[in-house]
Amino acid sequence: MRLGVTVLLAVLAASLCAPVHSAPVRGGTLNIAIDADPPSLDPHKTPSSGIPHSLLYNTLVTVDRQTGAFIPSLADSWTIAEGGKVITFKLHPGVKFHDGTPFTSQAVKATLDRLTAPATGAPGASWIGPLDRVEAPDDLTVRLVFKQPYAPIFSSLRIPFLAMLSPAAIAKYGKDYGQEPVGTGPFKFRQWIPGDRIALDRNPDYAWGAKFYQNHGAPYVDSVVLHIIPDESTRSIAFERGDLDILPTAPPKDVARLRQMGRYQVFQTPDDGGLYLGLNVTKPLLSDVRVRQALGYGINRDEVVNYALERLAVPMDSPVAPTIWGYAKGLTHAFHYDPDRARRLLTEAGWKPGPDGILQKGGRPLAFTVWTYPRETYVRMAVVLQTELKKIGVRMSIEQMEVATLLARTPKGEHDALLIGYGWPDADILYYFFHSSRMATTNRVHFSNAEVDRLLEAGRVTVDPQKRLAVYRDLQELLLEQAPWIPLASQISVTFAQSRVRDLAEDKFGTLLLDDAYLVK
Amino acid sequence: MHRYLAQRLLQLVPVLLGVSILVFLMIHLVPGDPAQVLLQDYGSSEQIAAFRHALGLDRPLPVQYGTFVWRLLHGDLGRSIHSGRPVAAEIAARLPYTLRLAACAMAVAVALGVALGTLAALHHRRFVDYGSMVVALAGISLPSFWFGLVLILAFSYYLRWLPAAGADSAASIVLPGVTLGAEAASIIARLTRSSLLEILHQEYIRTARAKGAGAARTIFRHAFKNALIPVLSIAGLQFAGLLGGAVIIETVFGWPGVGRLAIDAIFNRDLPMVQGVVLVAAVIFVVVNLMVDLLYGLLDPRIRYS
Repeated sequence: MRLGVTVLLAVLAASLCAPVHSAPVRGGTLNIAIDADPPSLDPHKTPSSGIPHSLLYNTLVTVDRQTGAFIPSLADSWTIAEGGKVITFKLHPGVKFHDGTPFTSQAVKATLDRLTAPATGAPGASWIGPLDRVEAPDDLTVRLVFKQPYAPIFSSLRIPFLAMLSPAAIAKYGKDYGQEPVGTGPFKFRQWIPGDRIALDRNPDYAWGAKFYQNHGAPYVDSVVLHIIPDESTRSIAFERGDLDILPTAPPKDVARLRQMGRYQVFQTPDDGGLYLGLNVTKPLLSDVRVRQALGYGINRDEVVNYALERLAVPMDSPVAPTIWGYAKGLTHAFHYDPDRARRLLTEAGWKPGPDGILQKGGRPLAFTVWTYPRETYVRMAVVLQTELKKIGVRMSIEQMEVATLLARTPKGEHDALLIGYGWPDADILYYFFHSSRMATTNRVHFSNAEVDRLLEAGRVTVDPQKRLAVYRDLQELLLEQAPWIPLASQISVTFAQSRVRDLAEDKFGTLLLDDAYLVK
Repeated sequence: MHRYLAQRLLQLVPVLLGVSILVFLMIHLVPGDPAQVLLQDYGSSEQIAAFRHALGLDRPLPVQYGTFVWRLLHGDLGRSIHSGRPVAAEIAARLPYTLRLAACAMAVAVALGVALGTLAALHHRRFVDYGSMVVALAGISLPSFWFGLVLILAFSYYLRWLPAAGADSAASIVLPGVTLGAEAASIIARLTRSSLLEILHQEYIRTARAKGAGAARTIFRHAFKNALIPVLSIAGLQFAGLLGGAVIIETVFGWPGVGRLAIDAIFNRDLPMVQGVVLVAAVIFVVVNLMVDLLYGLLDPRIRYS
């Protein structure tokens, strides 16, 4: 009898704790906060794509929600031929743009031709690689022909930069496509009040969502309103007041408090990127590889994560963040915290303690200045690094600089070091940071190494994934040994949602997935 | 009068010319390249060069400026480098928000400032006087972003009376309006107090009182008219200052005005947009000053323009 009561109670308790899965409800508006206006809703006119783009548009391929593997989206299947130089896509039939025109191979051709035309000036144009031409043998077949194999192509194809545009709308709106965006996505454009909001309505024809969704039709919610709120404290308060349903990428300083309140759903996604200390290897002081390595061993990454990043990060042991395709585990040259080794390396390099505790050589102190953006997280990180490096006798000064100034001054090599971050889902991003041909632009550490160049080039043309992974492993080892970058940490983004939002999800890369989402009262 | 008006409006031409040259030079002196910010450098060098060429950024500065003026004379402010949208359309969409905010702030500033200043003057050297002036001092000293956040916390978060951000409802303007108007209110309060104190000691006020005019009639009919002339002048200048202050307030409250537009444009080195916003602000500044001058004439019949 007593056992029976216990079992009954246990079953009752279990049923109370289990999530309630009700049938999805149609209707309502999802209010979501974003921090800034996108430069444009035209994917060919924006250097960064975000939530509005991923709701308005579809790409040829997408990624599986759990595994991150490439899966069909607007393309049902694909074949790769001629060693990766030709990729043939079979398109999903019956897809319509928001303007009612059909999505066909001609649309793919028109989109990619516009993307690559120099007159367009598309910031995302380089992500398509050495594309030679697009062929459209029939309405549902499209062939991308490259001048040489371009292995990172699938990572690019899933990014909204390469989303599919309506040829009719391109002809109609031209330069103003961003004001009247037309895609094939689950939501269509209604209104954009710059600085205030972007309003989207459900696309009633939508029936081509990715396979992992439960819902294979139009979204359940009637509309999505993206509220543009630049101040992070105001964003959090607006969410807590209940004015917002979803708070994507919550300010790190508010995460612990919001989580503790226990009434919100929490989605946590590691960023596909990282924060690093980049060292200008042409500066006499930092040209000595032993000094660079010493800085790597002298920094306790746990301190960076705990004190500067509110524990919302993981220490990074390679220039490639763990979530990025190509990350190699257990690298022999990975930095770990070893201040004694750092001091030994500096002694080997001829640095001796000075009267103020800072190392000296030939009367010159071991001191350099780091440039960083005036963002709270970056500045706090810089302060932690300053403290850490002082322990091994290195003096680091901090200079804050807004983005445009830093971008303009680093190619000239005026700086000693910089503390910034990056994000991209494929290790090919290293090409931009370390290839000697990028010296005038993104190679901000002015690093040049023939073997690194060779590996970066090999990474682009090696189509076989296993062989390509091996290339990137060698590359990461070499970069850690040469230490032009001291990798620091990869942040974790946290999204909060009110409990009234049901079946909301994020993919592995933190993209909000709204096809299944619905609102209850 | 018409001649005076025409003269003043003609003065706009050299002012705008000067302002546009200054802005043009300043944004070129600061390091940063709009093409680089937009392409984030991931483009190839050729791509960046092509982009700069398409925007005319590779031409000599005098040529770039000449093109700008030529277009301006044809009523074309160009397109934003960053968003690709026409500058005039963007400013036209966002200026009404800032003007609404500034007008609301001005109303708060005048109502609060004049009331506080009058109260202080009438209770000269008493508790109300000192209390009002402490409030006014706080209004000037508190940083507006902090004051704004405190108001959000109190009225939006705890009391839940007003929204924290956005411009959806009539209630949305209250918090940014009060925050923006606080500093101007404090300045107006101090000025009203000292101006009114001075007037209250004038002989004509004594005469009014001797004639048997009540306190209210003495103050509102006789004293105010003269006391408010310097206040009006300061209020006019403050209005222009409010447009500047709006930059911070608009960011804190997510208000979609031109202040934020200007700041973003500066960060993005979006020259056509910066030029457009600054020119519009200069026009507003000059026009507001002109209106203040004309209002003097209404308040004080001795002032005549010819």
